[in-house]
Amino acid sequence: MSTTLTRPQQQAAPHRERQHRTGPARRPNWLGGLTSVLWLAIVIIPIYWVLITSFKAQSSYYVSNPMLPPGEPTMQNYRFVIQADFIQYFVNSVIVTAGAVIPAVTVSFMAAYAIVRGWSSRFLRAANGLFLMGLAIPLQATIIPIYLIIIRLHLYDSLLALILPSIAFAIPLSVLVLANFIRDVPKELFESMRIDGANEWTTLWRLAAPLTRPAIVTVSVYNALTIWNSFLLPLILIQSPTQRTLPLALWNFQGQFSVNVPAVAAAVVLTTLPILVLYAFGRRQLLGGLAAGFSR
Amino acid sequence: MALAACGSSGPGSSSGGATYWFLNGQPQEGVRTGAVDRFNKANPNEKITFTTFQNDAYKTKIKTAIGAGQAPTIIWGWGGGTLRTYAKAGQVEDLTSWFDQNSKVKDKLFPSTFGAATIDGKIYAMPCETFQPIVLYYNKKVFSDVGVQPPQSWGDIMDLVPKFNAKGIAPFSLGGQSRWTNMMWLEFLFDRIGGSEVFQAVFDGEKDAWSNPAAIDALTKVQDLVKAKGFIEGFSSITADSNADQALLYTGKAAMMLHGSWSYGIQQSDGGDFVSSGSLGYMNFPPVDGGKGDPSDTVGNPAQYLSISSKASDDQKKIAKDFFTKGVLDDEEVKQWIGTGGVPILKGTQDLLAKDKNADFLTFTYDIASKAKTFAQSWDQALTPTPAETLLDNIVKLFQLSISPQQFADNMNAVIGQ
Amino acid sequence: MSTSTTHQRGRGQRGFLPWLAAPALVFFVGFAVIPVVGVLALSFTTWDGIGAIQPSGLTSWRAMLSDPGLLHAIWITFLVMIASWAVQTPLSILLGTFLAGHQRYRGVLAVVYFIPLLLSSAAIAITYKALLDPNFGLGAGLGIDFLSQDWLGRPTLAFSLVVFVVSWQFIPFHSLIYQGAVRQIPQSMYEAAQLDGAGRARQFFSITLPQLKYTIITSSTLMIVGSLTFFDLIFVLTEGGPGDATRVLALDMYKRGFQASLMGPASVIAVILVLVGLALALLLRRLGGRDASQSQIEGA
Repeated sequence: MSTTLTRPQQQAAPHRERQHRTGPARRPNWLGGLTSVLWLAIVIIPIYWVLITSFKAQSSYYVSNPMLPPGEPTMQNYRFVIQADFIQYFVNSVIVTAGAVIPAVTVSFMAAYAIVRGWSSRFLRAANGLFLMGLAIPLQATIIPIYLIIIRLHLYDSLLALILPSIAFAIPLSVLVLANFIRDVPKELFESMRIDGANEWTTLWRLAAPLTRPAIVTVSVYNALTIWNSFLLPLILIQSPTQRTLPLALWNFQGQFSVNVPAVAAAVVLTTLPILVLYAFGRRQLLGGLAAGFSR
Repeated sequence: MALAACGSSGPGSSSGGATYWFLNGQPQEGVRTGAVDRFNKANPNEKITFTTFQNDAYKTKIKTAIGAGQAPTIIWGWGGGTLRTYAKAGQVEDLTSWFDQNSKVKDKLFPSTFGAATIDGKIYAMPCETFQPIVLYYNKKVFSDVGVQPPQSWGDIMDLVPKFNAKGIAPFSLGGQSRWTNMMWLEFLFDRIGGSEVFQAVFDGEKDAWSNPAAIDALTKVQDLVKAKGFIEGFSSITADSNADQALLYTGKAAMMLHGSWSYGIQQSDGGDFVSSGSLGYMNFPPVDGGKGDPSDTVGNPAQYLSISSKASDDQKKIAKDFFTKGVLDDEEVKQWIGTGGVPILKGTQDLLAKDKNADFLTFTYDIASKAKTFAQSWDQALTPTPAETLLDNIVKLFQLSISPQQFADNMNAVIGQ
Repeated sequence: MSTSTTHQRGRGQRGFLPWLAAPALVFFVGFAVIPVVGVLALSFTTWDGIGAIQPSGLTSWRAMLSDPGLLHAIWITFLVMIASWAVQTPLSILLGTFLAGHQRYRGVLAVVYFIPLLLSSAAIAITYKALLDPNFGLGAGLGIDFLSQDWLGRPTLAFSLVVFVVSWQFIPFHSLIYQGAVRQIPQSMYEAAQLDGAGRARQFFSITLPQLKYTIITSSTLMIVGSLTFFDLIFVLTEGGPGDATRVLALDMYKRGFQASLMGPASVIAVILVLVGLALALLLRRLGGRDASQSQIEGA
């Protein structure tokens, strides 16, 4: 069909300028363009507003134009937020996120490898099915039993209480995406590893891991994002201020100081800053991996 | 469970002193903090560590903590139905015999305050802090600007509404999102129209108590007020926790507000010179023409209550009891409460009240609390959590005009006695 | 040949593979599967969260199934699901298609568009609450009446706001998915259509959309299953209010369990959430007709 047409077109292709190789035609897409610009504004305005407000003094906030940058920017809001123990909350979030993502991705990777390589095993096929069904189980629905289990394990009000369920709920999607990637590794490579005398364990780490790296990064970043921003688990399982993670602390802070809008804005910025920094560094991997992983 | 408690870091099981949770929000938070600090200094071997919470978050969090066996040693609360659920589950200490042995502690407090602390004849909490009747506040400056007098009856209230609206001032401020703020209106209307027996019937679990004609009348009147735009625009999204509703009164955007006596202290500290310049007016809720209720009746919190977690260690319980004996309502704390415009539940404070700069308000509150024929406890605290939640949910719908008084009564009748 | 040797070596190794999957299974079963079973068990009890758990048969089920509040929560959840899908999908497809074609802006736009996805729902909700405060927010400051309405106090407005903020948060994500998919459509198909005289709109509907079928299903699955369990955003933004205008199932469950001390009925709602989630996922997978065990790359 289209194949027969491509050959003559390919000669014409170089004439088509610097642009794209895929997608619709060249004429300006007014609707698309307009939508993008409009959407850009909608996305940027709240972010911009939060940023400039965080640098305004509370006293002058109510009288100033909300969309204009502050006449006299001040760091007092940030100082206030940091004094309210935000460093502690940041550390807690890091511990929970790292403590959950690293084990989750590791065990998911091992499980994904086992499922792909051992597809002939009924046990592994069943495990795969279980994980797939797990995709549809919402964390929210299980919160009450998790509360009970954590209490029985004497882990209530500890960071571990947040880590363990997070690992469990990160597994289904991670296994799914990682298994998809591992399946695309050509079987010949596995054969050659075997011929060289490698066992499954070695193959796992020497062959599959490097080849699956984009997916591992994607899955790690996605899980890190989800766990960093999780709110329901800390809401129910954490009570001491010292054990709070950032989203919970932010909610508390806003509840207490809601009248002090600039301070709340500063708190929002501070809770988001770590993620934004990571984003600046890891953007390429995240965008590429995410689109590829989900477009399949 | 025979598991070692090594992983637990919760406050209830630490051996480093007792723990105490209470509400934040100045100026009350400062008084409570001060009391703990003084106790810790005077008793270096008995340390109390405290954590503060916001009102609504606290109500949920304390339950989760108790359910997890990680309750603080000293549990702050409002007594009543919630205390009943704690007591029935064996989560709080029975203090009856302790009070018998320490009668001095008991005798210095007003006896009426023990009502909400007593469940089935046993005392499970120590009353503390202040009387908190609900007061009708008004902005005197706004009233004189508009040229009207404070209302003396429900009819006056309804007459005032269009007058304030015409001037672009909201007749009543209301923190509707907090829900218990709306409830205060119903508490007074029920009482003024039908007397305290109306709600008492609900509390006692009488069938169809909510269908009492006086109740339906009260519900209808509240909706009349809403329909007449008696409450500030957007009241459903204003929370009391942030004190935004009170800000509306002292900034003159609203003319009147029904709120707890503790609001005086907040307006004093947040409202600039609003209180000191004498612009804050206050009165008891006016009677309703033709109503059966005694106009001296009041509603609110007869006191605040401190319970001791039964899961605390013996050391912690001892610290808590020492705090009750030596730390609660010591002279300094009494003075500080008075400074915030609150009347401590201690006997014999009239002289101190009369000498304070807020003598007018303090004496006013003291008179209401001590002379009220009935001082009914806030409904959402008198009832156990389940019907309390249903009540609050229905109250919101009532104020949103999405259910009728009859539907409200039907919904509430279904949960009577739970 | 090599096949027989691989089989011999392989059989010894095959026994090892299930052990690789064991840790994941332990975590998952322990903290996901057992809680699901637990929720089912709890739905047959009465518990106030403080005292002892008392088995009570069908009491909680009967109470919940006859409570109009449950129907209302289901209705609101359903509305949120449909509304957010209806807003997000066309916009995401449009944006994704546009992004796929325009090299120059794509980089910059993609960076900015992605930011909402990085923010926690709590942070987003708090930002919008402050932004839309009728007295102190953007609308009041700039004098734009549309923005200074009582967004959180009126049921319809609050609901619309929830749908809007959800879209704000997730359209970027879905646009990226669509963008990735559109870029994989062979240019040749468009060229052929152009030769046949098809305009942009015709090309879009006849080529782009059909090629996006699987992507639409994936994206829609994520949207719908995700919207079933919205909690964080709505909790912080409206707490289910005003009244119960935005009281979705997950929120209803939390309030019933932890605020009204009705853990049994709350567990009933949780069971419903799990069942509906499973049903939806199965349904959408059936629609997609994909066999997840095959590699998606043709010819691999």
